Amino acid sequence: MHNIDFTHLVPSYIQAFETYYPSKPDPELMRLYGVDHLHRLNNNENALGPPPEVTRVLETFAPMTVPVYPNGDCFDLRRSLAKRFNKDAEQFLVGNGSCEVIASVIKAFCEKGDNIITADKTFAVYEWVAEFSGFEARLIPLKDNAFDPQAMLDAMDRHTKILFVCNPNNPTGTYWDRQTMKAFLDAVDNRAMVVIDEAYCEYVENEDFPNGMTLVDEYSNVVVFRTFSKMYALASLRIGYLCAHGDIVDFIRRTHVVYSVNTLAQKAAVAALTNDGSFIRATRKMVTDAKALLCPFFDELGLNYKCGQGNYLMVKVPVSDTLMYRKLMKKGIMVRTMTDFRFPDWIRISLVQQPVMEEFCNAFADVLNESI
Amino acid sequence: MKNVDQSISLSMMADISWIPLIQSVVENAAPVYGLDRRKTMMLTIAVEEIVAHLAGVSPGTRIDFCLEPGGWHVLGKFSFKADPSDLWAMNLVTKTDIQEDMEHLGLLVASRAVDGFTLKFEGDTLYLTLRKDLDYPVITPETMVPAEIRGQLTIVREPEPELIKFACVKTLGCYLPDAVPQFFITPGKVVDMVEQKDLHLAVAVDETGTLAGMICWQAPSEKGISFFGPYVIAEDHGVGEFLTTHLINTVARTRAMGLFSDLATPDLSTNNFESLGHLNLIQKDGGKRQQDVWYRHLKEDMGASVWVHSSYAEFLKKVYEQQVLMRDLKSIEEQGEHVPQRSVFSVQLRPEAGNATLFPMVTGADAAQCITRHVEMLHREKFSNIFIRIDLAYGWQAAMGKVIMDNGFVPRLVLPYGGKSDILVFQHA
Repeated sequence: MHNIDFTHLVPSYIQAFETYYPSKPDPELMRLYGVDHLHRLNNNENALGPPPEVTRVLETFAPMTVPVYPNGDCFDLRRSLAKRFNKDAEQFLVGNGSCEVIASVIKAFCEKGDNIITADKTFAVYEWVAEFSGFEARLIPLKDNAFDPQAMLDAMDRHTKILFVCNPNNPTGTYWDRQTMKAFLDAVDNRAMVVIDEAYCEYVENEDFPNGMTLVDEYSNVVVFRTFSKMYALASLRIGYLCAHGDIVDFIRRTHVVYSVNTLAQKAAVAALTNDGSFIRATRKMVTDAKALLCPFFDELGLNYKCGQGNYLMVKVPVSDTLMYRKLMKKGIMVRTMTDFRFPDWIRISLVQQPVMEEFCNAFADVLNESI
Repeated sequence: MKNVDQSISLSMMADISWIPLIQSVVENAAPVYGLDRRKTMMLTIAVEEIVAHLAGVSPGTRIDFCLEPGGWHVLGKFSFKADPSDLWAMNLVTKTDIQEDMEHLGLLVASRAVDGFTLKFEGDTLYLTLRKDLDYPVITPETMVPAEIRGQLTIVREPEPELIKFACVKTLGCYLPDAVPQFFITPGKVVDMVEQKDLHLAVAVDETGTLAGMICWQAPSEKGISFFGPYVIAEDHGVGEFLTTHLINTVARTRAMGLFSDLATPDLSTNNFESLGHLNLIQKDGGKRQQDVWYRHLKEDMGASVWVHSSYAEFLKKVYEQQVLMRDLKSIEEQGEHVPQRSVFSVQLRPEAGNATLFPMVTGADAAQCITRHVEMLHREKFSNIFIRIDLAYGWQAAMGKVIMDNGFVPRLVLPYGGKSDILVFQHA
């Protein structure tokens, strides 16, 4: 191949954007770190595995389904979602993970010169998609580890098209209660779209947590994101969705690539919705038990931690988070470093079953003893 | 405003009849890029000598040349096909050989006429870049009394040139010269380096706008960031930690894998850094001190593979184990294969600290003698701290371990992702 420089063809905002490289596959990491097992506590996956209804779908999935294209706009799943949330199927749009619907919303509403507003320490994909699409991402510092509604409002101008609120926030676990959320939406006053990302909403049991599905009925500019990756344990199938007013969804649909969600994911998601709630209760109990183990453990060590909503918690470690990662990996435990969430020297830990949490505690204590 | 490309390119044959053309390009364009008359003349001579040399050793070869403005410097970039060992005369220590080999005198002149050069191979093409720096006034440091801090600290977004220059002056007044990068004594150059994004810096002020401190950093490679500081120029109310945290957050989402100290000050909060070891330095007054080197991974380490020679394999294994860095070590040994006759090293000098660092550009059969001559000359010139850095991404550099160690160097530390891969730093014992 000729060594030709094509840089001049690449937009400046792409040239300035940093490539994200995901981690290597588990077997390769295990080889590198010389371990025979790896507990994945880095991606907030549900370690219980999917609901039994999903398992049945996976086990009976017919090979001859594979040569046939999936339904292009997830017809059955949108009907199931509509029934579940008492809405119209046209109010839902399904994507290859919620990352795809983030991109679709930004494409639908932003044009040259526009901006989006979100927090500096939250799920990074809102910021990334805006920036590699050529739009400004205005990052508002968290206040007391939570999104700062007034600062977000203050940052708005006539070019602000979307405000992204991660509720509860990943990674801090904080959330806006119903009153805060409604006051914010009232203040936005339809000047921009408000995306409420509820990826972890099924983990929240507090009464004052605002239900985005209700807010969609009350506010025309609200778009709610949800995912099957976190609670329903379908992460490898990549499936998430948004819900909004039908007119809004129609705009977003115009930018959304059809056929992006595969058949198995669609069927699994439909099956997950049929669970009677026992799966969610079991998962919540697992998370509650894990918190009950880890919080006193960190208290005893005198470490600062943030344990809010969601199936994760964060702890500030007395060495660099990236060194802690490497040392825990040598013991077969993978956590999430928080430096690139702009929380240097914090790690995030997914909350899973007791035996694994106990193994984590032992490994963590060993590392601290070695390091200090 | 988008930067306009002001560079000038030409392609020509290696023939002395084209020398006036390339002379004319440099003479006319370099002043437009900001070089004064004397420096323009030096760069013109260097460029002319390169062409004359190529016309002698590889007549008719195609030369591509580009003259580029760099804000604080001007670059003359050559690419051509030639025997790399033919460039041996660009070594700092060529003086003694050259009397017997007038053919290479021009290269000696060229290398001395510029402020720096780099040389690299890609396939069979050689890329030679000459750098000539613009002239800047040098300031004289004055001792400073640390200012009092009031209220909360903030980082000044995009500090204006006057603030950058002010911060340089203050820093020089608070720290010894060998704790501060050389370019601080020319604050105007620092401003231009920042403008060109060849240097990044963060300045902290208090609520009254009083300067509290600064930290600066560069990206010597795509995967590594080196920093200087933090420099605290006020009463310390967590200024060092504030600046360091700002630096980490700023570079956290870049493609860099690691952050390491080039010149760390005692004001660095080291709790969350990893020690890479230290360099034993002899100061200009004969005193001894240790320069600690600190490191911080920015990402989850997914491992890497590096070349390693048996001469320092045990050292590397120990370091990687201590630092919990996963590396596949690929052994390399000489098998009698042909290598170029002559070697070329570039040398980075810090006369005020007595430091010299050698970087291999071409490894030839004379590598051992070439290193010996460099060391002898640097000692004569009162450089007490001599280092060689090799990039373990390249087998040909990794293979130099034996000749380096036979010359009295010892492996001192590893800079993870300091180059294309890890950099192994040798120090002359």
